[in-house]
This record gives sequence, structure tokens and C-alpha cells, in this order.
Amino acid sequence: MTVISTPATPTKAVDAQKYRRPGKLDQWICFWSVPIFFTLFGLIFVALTRVMPPPSPNLTTTQVLYFFHHHALTIKIGFTMLMVVVGFASWTNGLVATHMKRMSVGSVWAYGYIAALAVGAIPGCIFAAFAFLTAVFRPDRNPHVMVLLYDMGLLMFIGSLGCFAAQYLIFALAILLDKNKIFPKWLAYVTIWQVVTEGLAAPVFIFKHGPFAWNGAISFWQGTAIFVFWQVCLLYLLHRAIKDQPLGEAVQDI
Amino acid sequence: MLRDRLTWVWAALSAITTLSWWLARTAHDNGHFVASTPVTIGILAIGFVKARLILQAFMEVRTSPKWLRLFCDMWLLVFWGAVLGIYLYQ
Amino acid sequence: MTLSTDASALSTAMPPENASVEDAQRPKDYLPGDFNMWVFVLGDMIIFAIYFIIFMVERTRDRTLFLASQQHLYQTIGLINTLVLLTSSWCMARAVRATRSGNSVQALRLVIGAAFCGIAFIAIKVVEWSLEIHHGYTLPRNDFFTFYFMLTGVHLFHVVMGLVILGVVVRELRNPDLRRVSMVEAGATYWHMVDLLWIVLFALIYVMR
Repeated sequence: MTVISTPATPTKAVDAQKYRRPGKLDQWICFWSVPIFFTLFGLIFVALTRVMPPPSPNLTTTQVLYFFHHHALTIKIGFTMLMVVVGFASWTNGLVATHMKRMSVGSVWAYGYIAALAVGAIPGCIFAAFAFLTAVFRPDRNPHVMVLLYDMGLLMFIGSLGCFAAQYLIFALAILLDKNKIFPKWLAYVTIWQVVTEGLAAPVFIFKHGPFAWNGAISFWQGTAIFVFWQVCLLYLLHRAIKDQPLGEAVQDI
Repeated sequence: MLRDRLTWVWAALSAITTLSWWLARTAHDNGHFVASTPVTIGILAIGFVKARLILQAFMEVRTSPKWLRLFCDMWLLVFWGAVLGIYLYQ
Repeated sequence: MTLSTDASALSTAMPPENASVEDAQRPKDYLPGDFNMWVFVLGDMIIFAIYFIIFMVERTRDRTLFLASQQHLYQTIGLINTLVLLTSSWCMARAVRATRSGNSVQALRLVIGAAFCGIAFIAIKVVEWSLEIHHGYTLPRNDFFTFYFMLTGVHLFHVVMGLVILGVVVRELRNPDLRRVSMVEAGATYWHMVDLLWIVLFALIYVMR
């Protein structure tokens, strides 16, 4: 990650240090991509495609048709944009994994983190978008098929729990076991809340109304509030971890 | 052990837990549960006392820094106040 | 609030051997355990408070249903489980005190006692759930039973996490090189929170009318 060249002469060494000093530029580019892509994701999910906050699971067929008809254009724009930028989410995850590799726990934890997120993103983000894009692609489709796509899209979007719960658990345990103090232990505990909220969203497959439905107070709103808090903590601590990382630190690769 | 504060707290907690269980049993009509505001207020009051005892004696909030004491008391007041408020709201 | 670093420094600086037994002789403004654990515990208290308040709001929407459903809960099993957890907390509080006075053999015994109560709690809970399910009161049955299973379930998850933490405490107490008062205190702080949340759950789901 950090490349330190051996300079030819002492004077050049000073120059070289001055200009090549950062050594962390790669990480900072990666870090600042996060706010950019989160803004884009927010724009896509909240403003354009209207899946956050999610529309009700309790709609009639006519209401579902109206939803797709009314938001067809913004769904097309939003989810097409998502198809272009969704991959960049893995950039952030790579950054977190880099710092997990600096921990005293083995790299396998970082790989587990990345793998769980990669698998989770397929139904949770990509398939959900495909379901909605398919729905608005042929608006004159059989109404029952439209309802099917609506349900599938939102169930996949809110209901992809397992991989994310695993990812949070891996991250939390890695922080707790780590002896290099890359992240403070309280981040591990905040991450455990995320595991709990994923678990509490499990009944979305059963209910069409109430706090445990996919737009419910517990399944969606509280989970999202805790997620935002977690994300803010993670970004702040990631910033600190990059800043505090000694230059030229050897990172294990086992 | 009888002079032990923790043991007294434990005994008191167990006793008032049983009391709230007994109180709940008094609110029935031929074996069917009925709503009872006095019983519920009694049970919520016991819950408040129990929560505070656990925080103060077991979790040692009593001798902790001021911010923690303040936080716990605020939590107790806001939470149990909200529960009671929602219960009484018709 | 200037707390983070000095608070955790204080807790580790506490010498186990000479530490006093009495509250009064402990340094004033002493934060037991470590700051990180308190972040977790206080945050969890807020999160659970919101779950319970949402439960209360849903309850006011259909009081008759909630009251009629409470009838099908095993009130006495709930009471026994509360007493089991209270006893568990009592063991843990005494374990902290034993550790402070350097009596790690007794501390170990008490922590194991607390953990056994935790296991008993889970066993009783499983029996209770099986009885409910056997009689047809499953999670989708109605709004009350959804809350009942979800809230007791998320609490049970906390009990399981607590047992893992107690396991770590036992491991550290066994090894003289690892033995730290702050670790036992942090485990106790968490374990008492599990008790505290159950107290609220018992009041709201089992006994309130």
C-alpha cells in the first residue's frame, strides 16, 4: 500500500520526502469517495426512486400501478445511475478491509467482511434495482406481474439481512479481538447494534402493516437511524485511523 | 451476608417483583384479565424502582461520575414517564 | 463531557489487591468497567426504550387484543425467570466485590454461578416459547405475539452475548496474568443491563394491565 522509495542522495531524499510525503494519498482518495457516493446513493434512493423511506407493503394493485406509473421516469434515471456507480461502494469496503488487515487478527476477517458485503449487495441493491427497472420497462405488463416486481424489489431491498448481519458481526469481533487498537472498542459495540437491528427486520417477510412491516417503525425507521449513526462513527474513526497510521507500516498478508 | 447491602437489594428486588406479579393477578374478572389503571400504575412504579435499584446498586451508578448519574436518572424519568403517559392517553 | 480517556485510565489504574470493599471508600466519581462498555450499555438502553415505547403506542391502538393475548402468557414462568436473572445479577455484583478484594477464587465461583443462572434463564425461556408455539400462539398470530417473540428474542440474544462476555471474564479470572478488575466490572455492567431490560420487559409485556 505505502510505497517508500530509496532515494539516491541525501538532498534528493528531502525533496523526495516533500513531494512524495503523503504515501496515504491513495487512502485519502478512497476516503473522500465515500461522501460523494453516499450523496449519490441518497439522491438515488430517497429523491429519485422513492424506495427510502419505502412505500407501503399494503398497497392495492391499482396503487402499485400508480406508484410505478408516477415514478417511472425517476426510477429509470435513478436506478440507471445506480448501475453505473454501485460498484464504488466496494471502494469504501476495501478501505475498511485495509484497516482490518492492520489489526492483530488475521486477514481472513477482512476477506470475510468484503465477501459478506459483496454477496449482500447483490440482492440488497442490484436485484432490487433490477426488479424496479424491469417493472417500468414495460408499464403495460399484466398488473399482477407488476405487483410481483414491486414486492420482490422491496423485499430484496429491505429484507437482505443475513450477509449484512454477518458482515457487522465479523467487523465487531475483529475490533474486539484486535490488539493494535486500530479502532476503539466502542465501535465494536455500536456495530453489534447493527446486528440486532438486522435481526429485528426479519419479520418484513410476514407483515404488511405495523412496526415490523418493511416500512415499519422498528424494521425500517429505527434500523435506518442506527445505521446512519454507525456510518457517521465509522467515517470519523476511519479518518482517524488513516491519519494515525504510521508511514511505511508493514501490513501482514496472511 | 445479612449485613450485606447487595443482598438486601437483591431481596428487595425479588420481593417487589413478586408483588407486581401478585398485583397483576388481582386485575381479573372471572379469570379474564381486565384493564386496571391503579394496578398498572402500581406495576409501573415498581418497575421504575427496580430499574433504579439495579442501576444504582448493582451497576454502581450511585458512586459514578456525575454525567452518568444524570444520564441514568434522565433515562428513568423520560422512559417511565413516556410509558405512563402513553398508557394514560386515551 | 470530558470523559473518554481519563475515565478508562482510572478504571485500569484501580489496584485489585488494595481496593476497598465498601462503596464509600471507593474513589468518588468512579466509573466501573470501561468507557467503551458504557457506550454500549447506555446506547442499548436508549434503543430498547424506543422499542418499548413503540410497543406501548401499538398497545394503545388495540388494548383489548393486547390484554386478551397477555392472558395466554405464562405469568409464573415470567416471574421465575425474573427471579433467576435477579439472582444472577446479585452473583455478578458480588463477584465484582470479590475481585476488588483480591479473592479471585470466590469471584470465579460467583461469575460461574451468574452464568449458570443465565443458562437456566435461556432453558426456561425455550420451554415457555415451546409451550406458546404448541398452543398455536406463534409470532404472526397477532400484533401482541409479534412483539412478545421479537422483544423476548432480542433480549435472549443479549443474554447469549452476555454469556460470551462472562466466558471471557472467567477465562481472565483463571489466569493471574490477565486478571483485571476493570474486565470483571465491564462484564458486570453488561450483565446487569440484561437484567434491567428484562425488568422493563416483564413489567410491560407480562404484568401491566
